[in-house]
Amino acid sequence: MSQFDAIVIGGGVNGLVAGTLLSRRGKNVCIIEKSSRFGGMASYSVDGGPTLAHSLYNLSPRVLSDIGIDPQHPVLSGKPVSTVSLSEDGRHIVFKNEGIFWSEGAKHPESDAWTDLTQQLITYGGLLRQLAEAPPPGGQKAILSRGGLNELLRLAKLGIGLKKLGKSEMRRFLQVILSNVHDIVIDDLPEGPVAGMLAADAIWGSATGPRSPGTVFNLIYRLGHGGNITQPAGGMSALTDLMVEAAQKAGCVLMPETEVSRIVLHDDTVSGVATNNGRTLTAPIVLSNLAPRPTSRMTGPSAFDIEAMRRVRIIRARGTAAKVNLRLKDDATLPGLPSELAHERLIYAPSVEYVEAAFNPVKYRQMSKAPVIEAFKRQTADGANWLSTIVQYAPSDIEGSWTETAKEQLAQITVETLSRALPGLGDQISGIQVITPDQIESATGAPGGHWHHAEMSLDQLLTLRPANGMARYSMGPKGLFQCGAATHPGGDVMGLAGRNAALAALEAQA
Amino acid sequence: MTVENRYDVIVAGAGHNGLTAAAYLARAGMRVLVVEKNDWIGGAAVSRSLHDGWTYSNCSYVCSLLRREIARDLELPKYGLQVIPYEGGASFTRDGDYFAYYSDHNALKREMARHSAKDADAYRCYSQAIMRQCRFIRPFLLRDAPDPASLHPRDLGELAYLVKKAHGLGSRELGETLKFWTMSIGDVLDEHFENDLIKAHLAGSGIIGTGLGVYSPGTAYVLLHHYMGDIDGGIGAWGFARGGMGAISNAIAASFKDHGGTIHTGSGIEKILSKDGRVEGVALEDGKVFYAPVVASNMDIKRTILHHIDAAELPDDFTKAVRNFKIRGSSAKLNIALDRFPNFPAAPEHTSFLRGDLHVSQSLFELEKAYDDWKVGRWSEKPYIDMLIPSQIDPTMAPTGAHMMTVFVQYAPYALEVDGVRSAQNWGEKQRSAMAETVLDQMSAACPDIRERIVHMEVRSPLEIEREVGLTEGNIFQGELTFDQLFFNRPVPGWSQYNLPIEGLYLCGSSAHPGGGVMGAPGANAARAILRHETRHGRMKGYAA
Repeated sequence: MSQFDAIVIGGGVNGLVAGTLLSRRGKNVCIIEKSSRFGGMASYSVDGGPTLAHSLYNLSPRVLSDIGIDPQHPVLSGKPVSTVSLSEDGRHIVFKNEGIFWSEGAKHPESDAWTDLTQQLITYGGLLRQLAEAPPPGGQKAILSRGGLNELLRLAKLGIGLKKLGKSEMRRFLQVILSNVHDIVIDDLPEGPVAGMLAADAIWGSATGPRSPGTVFNLIYRLGHGGNITQPAGGMSALTDLMVEAAQKAGCVLMPETEVSRIVLHDDTVSGVATNNGRTLTAPIVLSNLAPRPTSRMTGPSAFDIEAMRRVRIIRARGTAAKVNLRLKDDATLPGLPSELAHERLIYAPSVEYVEAAFNPVKYRQMSKAPVIEAFKRQTADGANWLSTIVQYAPSDIEGSWTETAKEQLAQITVETLSRALPGLGDQISGIQVITPDQIESATGAPGGHWHHAEMSLDQLLTLRPANGMARYSMGPKGLFQCGAATHPGGDVMGLAGRNAALAALEAQA
Repeated sequence: MTVENRYDVIVAGAGHNGLTAAAYLARAGMRVLVVEKNDWIGGAAVSRSLHDGWTYSNCSYVCSLLRREIARDLELPKYGLQVIPYEGGASFTRDGDYFAYYSDHNALKREMARHSAKDADAYRCYSQAIMRQCRFIRPFLLRDAPDPASLHPRDLGELAYLVKKAHGLGSRELGETLKFWTMSIGDVLDEHFENDLIKAHLAGSGIIGTGLGVYSPGTAYVLLHHYMGDIDGGIGAWGFARGGMGAISNAIAASFKDHGGTIHTGSGIEKILSKDGRVEGVALEDGKVFYAPVVASNMDIKRTILHHIDAAELPDDFTKAVRNFKIRGSSAKLNIALDRFPNFPAAPEHTSFLRGDLHVSQSLFELEKAYDDWKVGRWSEKPYIDMLIPSQIDPTMAPTGAHMMTVFVQYAPYALEVDGVRSAQNWGEKQRSAMAETVLDQMSAACPDIRERIVHMEVRSPLEIEREVGLTEGNIFQGELTFDQLFFNRPVPGWSQYNLPIEGLYLCGSSAHPGGGVMGAPGANAARAILRHETRHGRMKGYAA
């Protein structure tokens, strides 16, 4: 029997962050991971192919400093990539910080409108980041306690930030935040690949279409850390390696290839975990990087009151994103794309209406026949060239389940769709990996393979994330905390959920 | 300028909200003129006799939302308004069965259990949740929406009222409220129920009049918008106005005239006159000009601002916000004169539920697909239909033995797609009757002999509704009821309190808070705003606020 101060179940990004932060605050921490690799979706790959997550856009600098990683570390110093909205006529559109351009170099007529809109959303994102860097407001603390005062202070800061926007911008903020991306984009931009790219960026990883109210929030969430997209030098696994290193340096005990079979309780208080290899590890605090439902399975339902179990059961998490990795021939180039754009982020979303039409079938448990795609060309450690793509929409609960035929169909659809803008792409491909949401679920434990563990819809955000009454990381029995993407503020390779959870656990102990 | 053409207030449009505002102002002692483009009054709350012997409520068709405070203040029963509740409704399956909705709780529970025992148990929890939300929202309907960016004491006061109400719920219930308001009706129903037919029946109110699908977030609120009314204290109950929906407008108009009001029909507004940022009066299409220091527009915000006012008089960002206000046509209407009562083979004899709202949607997926058709500019292949035969309860609507049927159709786009072109102009005779055939096919699932019963039928696409009533795109709510267009965001941020950037110009229609439905609240709230502002500014000395 080993004794720890805290045990983290699940060594994904948030689990690593939570464990490392607790270690650095003097706790004796153990992080348990069922697979052989730490890093969760950020490091998961099949047969050495590209990882599930393939870019960074809102990694929190605050998290980095809290776990002792230098934001200037060579792995993180990759230069921002541009986004390219692919077009069937070969006139691709390149989105850069300084504006948008045709692939041949001339400025795009919608550049200014796009810049204005994006800058506005980035400003709003900056404001909301203050909320993301702390537990959600509305805790039932005594107002005059330290935590209560801190919360008041944060809300006051947000209020001042809003006021500083000026009256009309503040009003606009309160409208836009509740709106859908279709409307705000179409208000300012003509229908087409520029609008389509913005619509696509508002729906990644979620079971919503551009017309669904609340999608602007998703877009702002992406842009919350300034909107730059980077790739770590050495790929995403280099970043997770760095996090593992930070955890070790902080003194965490890392336990790969160990599965937790049960969270052990005594008198409604956590006393540790039992693993499937027969070990019992004790600790007064257990943080679960899993979503609430699998966590509740580890304690057994009797640890929760019936209403809490009902709320856990109805959390919506339908994964809709599949990972399709196209292995390219060794000397392959991307046809129809100027070579200087080959390593940028490629988006296929020719219009808002296209994205909405792609969304339709997923409502009825079908895959999109004409999906929205994000692609990166990259080289894996073994020197192989890949086109790493995220394909939406492909539902976790597809009708008739994800058979081999369905997977082949998805592979074919992906190649066909990309070939519309990159004609002849099919000839450059030597192999295809299809990783469906249900596969992601069984590999990572994320419900529905949903990369936020719970849908990022307005009714599952802030005080309602992951469910009403359990938004402040502690859950059910004393000493049990959630630290995964299902909690506030949500997922992506960001780390704030893990950080906030660790701080909440520390505070509860104090 | 003569005395004859000078008034204290001119109301543009004799819809029920315009008349409500006018009636309140007349009762406050003002000289009020209502101008109306049609030869008749009522806007979309109207009864029309388009086929000899039959009366159609040819736009809005049932009543529940009309605020009782307004009915009381304006003494509407005294002026002839009588609302008769109906007792139920049903959704028919395509294989000869039905789900009946009874207002009697025990009967409803037995009927639900016939389809699903689990759902019969779940209904109690569901209806309590809905009722709690209704109780929370009702007090806000006759109050102003605070401007969150303002430090004006009134705004702070309203904001404090909101916080107090929210705080009063307790943190658990507040969480549930926030969740409910932001969810889709499909998700809410999936959380509670398992039976497709029951879910489809209950979902209808979440999409009526709205350019959203049952799985779009925010439709749970739209459902609430249909449930927050009452008849004689029965919250959520719906009924028929005796004599059709026009009886409501007529009663308000009678109350208005009785207090000295004047109504001028038959000529619409050409222009709202203003000078140096101050309203002066209105010029009508027939060349008449009327003057008043205050003009209240019952037209929707787009029509008011973009068609009847000089753009130069308005700040650009305001005009832009109005242009971006979403008013989407999504509904059509069939009004049918029947030679006798149609046959509903599935229904037991002498059942009460045929007197209520009848539907033929089978599942939430079917409803969601109906929305997908609309998004690309087509009417739904299997539309949601809400059909009622009010002549069973109100015999004044049709000759003895004959009946009148009202059929509401969701979804039908304003800009109809034909041969790859989306345009409202595509709504010709051919397209309208093709849509009517689609609807009749749907209805045949419930009453197979419907086509033989038809004596006369009026088919109204969103274009007809726009042309006749004046509602932009034929949208029944004068603007989508989405979060970004509700409460302090309605109609546009910063202008949620009925006044507009031109001094003396007000909005009194359902583009304003709290939105559409035959509710009267925007009209009553606008009247209150007018009395408050104009007496304070001394333009109407002597009137009591």
